[in-house]
Amino acid sequence: MPLTTVVRGRAYDWSHAIGRGAATGTGFNYVQTMCLGKENDLYTANRGNENNFGMRVNRIKLGGPGDEELVSEFFQHGQGDGKATWPFGVAVGNDGRVYCSDEWTNTISVFDPDGKFQYKFGSTGSGDGELNRPAGIAVEKNGNVIVVDSGNCRLQVFSPEGKLLAQCGKAGSGDGEFNQPWGITTDKDGNIYVADWKNHRVQKLSPQGRFLMKIGTYGELPRADDAFAVTYLGPYVSSVLPTQYPKAGLLNHPTDVAVDPDGDIYVTDWGNHRVSIFEADGTPLTNLYGDAQEFSKWAKQSVDANPDMMKAYRRVRNSEPLYRFCFPTAVDFNPATDEIIVADSQRNRLQVYKKVRDYQDFQANL
Amino acid sequence: MANQDDIGLMAHLMRRAGFGATRDELEARVAKGYDATVEELIEYASQPAVDPYVLLRHQPAALLPGGQPPMGNVNYMYYLVNTKRPLQEKMALFWHHVFATGNSKVDNYDQLLEQIELFRNNGMGNYRDLLVTIARNPTMIFWLDNNQNHGTAVNENWGRELLELFSLGAGNYTEVDVREASRAFTGWTFETKLPRLPYGRFPWKFEYRPEDHDDGEKTFLGHKGNFNGEDIINIVVQQPACAKFVCRHLYNFFVADEPQVPAWNIEAPRDPAAVDALCKVFVESKCEMKPVLRHLFKSDFFKNARYKHLKSPAEVVVGTLRLVGGYELPKPGYGELSMQPSYMGQDLLNPPSVEGWHTGQEWINSGSLMSRINFVAAQLGNPDLPGVQKIIERLKAQGTKTPDQLVNNCLDQLGPIEVSAGTKKELTDAAKEWGEISWDGAGAQNATRRAAEMMQLIAATREYQFG
Repeated sequence: MPLTTVVRGRAYDWSHAIGRGAATGTGFNYVQTMCLGKENDLYTANRGNENNFGMRVNRIKLGGPGDEELVSEFFQHGQGDGKATWPFGVAVGNDGRVYCSDEWTNTISVFDPDGKFQYKFGSTGSGDGELNRPAGIAVEKNGNVIVVDSGNCRLQVFSPEGKLLAQCGKAGSGDGEFNQPWGITTDKDGNIYVADWKNHRVQKLSPQGRFLMKIGTYGELPRADDAFAVTYLGPYVSSVLPTQYPKAGLLNHPTDVAVDPDGDIYVTDWGNHRVSIFEADGTPLTNLYGDAQEFSKWAKQSVDANPDMMKAYRRVRNSEPLYRFCFPTAVDFNPATDEIIVADSQRNRLQVYKKVRDYQDFQANL
Repeated sequence: MANQDDIGLMAHLMRRAGFGATRDELEARVAKGYDATVEELIEYASQPAVDPYVLLRHQPAALLPGGQPPMGNVNYMYYLVNTKRPLQEKMALFWHHVFATGNSKVDNYDQLLEQIELFRNNGMGNYRDLLVTIARNPTMIFWLDNNQNHGTAVNENWGRELLELFSLGAGNYTEVDVREASRAFTGWTFETKLPRLPYGRFPWKFEYRPEDHDDGEKTFLGHKGNFNGEDIINIVVQQPACAKFVCRHLYNFFVADEPQVPAWNIEAPRDPAAVDALCKVFVESKCEMKPVLRHLFKSDFFKNARYKHLKSPAEVVVGTLRLVGGYELPKPGYGELSMQPSYMGQDLLNPPSVEGWHTGQEWINSGSLMSRINFVAAQLGNPDLPGVQKIIERLKAQGTKTPDQLVNNCLDQLGPIEVSAGTKKELTDAAKEWGEISWDGAGAQNATRRAAEMMQLIAATREYQFG
């Protein structure tokens, strides 16, 4: 797999991985969504499971490769204020407030930047202001909070204190309609992008919620004859490079979307185990498939502590399944560093790519 | 209004070829017809498959659950509860009984789930092809040590179980045949897999190593040649004992309880003619499973075998959950729910040994019986569940009032279940203590409670344990 992907005036360079599987501490446990905060802070909402109960939001201080540090953890499993059953969405406001959705209790809990519980809002139902399986969250420039009310197939906009201000969308597959949407983001102009999960597309809405554009059509990637299933639902590794697959723009249960300052759109194509990149008008550009050929800092600590693991690694014939995304759930673009950050959910790590703006091609006859 | 006998027969078919059915579904199927229903069950591709993505959205850890319960069980239970292809899922469970592979040694629930998926995809196809596929399945190879079966040092574990527990049964081969079969499978192994730390589980991949294969001549079941593993399977499936072994398994699983497998070479089948009839179809169809299943479900010996099969824990739990409803979407607590068969003696994805679970009356002991009754009673006693509400609405619509009506209508809605005169009297005596019930006004709450209590009492009867 190439570490550098070049396409139509853009270059994407794999940089590094962050994290490892961990129910608590330095690692992740099935990230559902994530959000960049101030000063290179990244918040991830971990779903956890019923074996290790690793539900939580963790705050990571990002840096160059190997510089990442765990800052704090909150919204852990439990009952009562500040606790979660099924964490899903996380978003940070300009004032540092952190909004976290709980898909089971149908509430939005609000924390200060250090993870101290402040208050919560939301109740179960389908009426105005009520929630049914809230998923992704985005905070607008004015501080209002857009909640993906997934079970009700709509978006609801709340004031920071939880007062309902507006809503849009309903169940369906038409323009402006949704089917169990997942992640959400806004661009520099305030336009809203939603990963319309069961409709296998991304929808772009105006800041007022008016339909503007949709991206992607449903499709599973074809499998090569020699494909090897990394899980029984993919990804499939073969001697045929995935970049040779036809029909860019196919989406299979997209989970999240990010937009960079140039307007390029990044979509986690969850069921196809890749990140699909589109131009601002929705024209497909290319795909990233995961290239983690090096361990993250925390991952290396796990391997170093278990000599048998490295012994096993040295006998593996093909390590490509290790590099590849496995059900990526979330993507963010960090404009301060030009980094594309991808939550590689089933591998409990983040993979970080750089969008290289001054890429010079190498001498082809090397 | 469907004929009561037709409903009873359809309920029998759905209990055996699936995990039971609600009254609405039974009535729809009776309207469609018995033979047409059998056809739909067998040609399952006409029905939608379970959507695994909904499971993974809510319970992502169910995909690669590692070595600890319950997330692997969550995955399996989700399929069992939600399938619209009940016979496909039942056959996968059947092969899980036969090719019993357990997490106690494998320590990778994800690999066991992949094996169950193999049974889903191949379990109603050709048995010979299934044997070849399972012989190449890395989980089975590890379970039965074929990765330690070398050309220069034979390990007989896989070769022995192939003959004893997967195809012929004890008494139908010699120790020499075990040795020769094992030699033929030398070199059938798997690549070193990526280890579990730090990013979770990765799968094995089958590998054939010709340099580790014993290329010498073998003598197996009277045949001589330079056999490889597939040749051994081709010889095995031609043996009359193979057809008998597979068909007796089918009879035990789908028709009526047989003695345990190790006794099969000393105890005759309870219905030799039925097993012979299945064998005939198996041989004529060259090991295709669908014709055998079609014959089985349409035969008189099947139709006359109502309540001659003690429900397995999986059948108790899954049948109950499908009846009461409300478990279609994963929810917190699904882990505990999915472990319920384990508490009753059937730890799915982790059978006690390669021999699989002992069935029939061996499912029952004082502890497992209490677990069965308590679980079913807790579900049926919860009027918030949509399936329970539906039953109560039907009882109300039937004008259920007197103690006799309460007993008869509850038995009807839960099955219909046939009970002995003694059981009926005990149920009726309890209902008489409550007196007549009324669905009007303030009486409705009491009527609902009594109906739920009557269903709980029925769940505690001896007859309810049979399917």
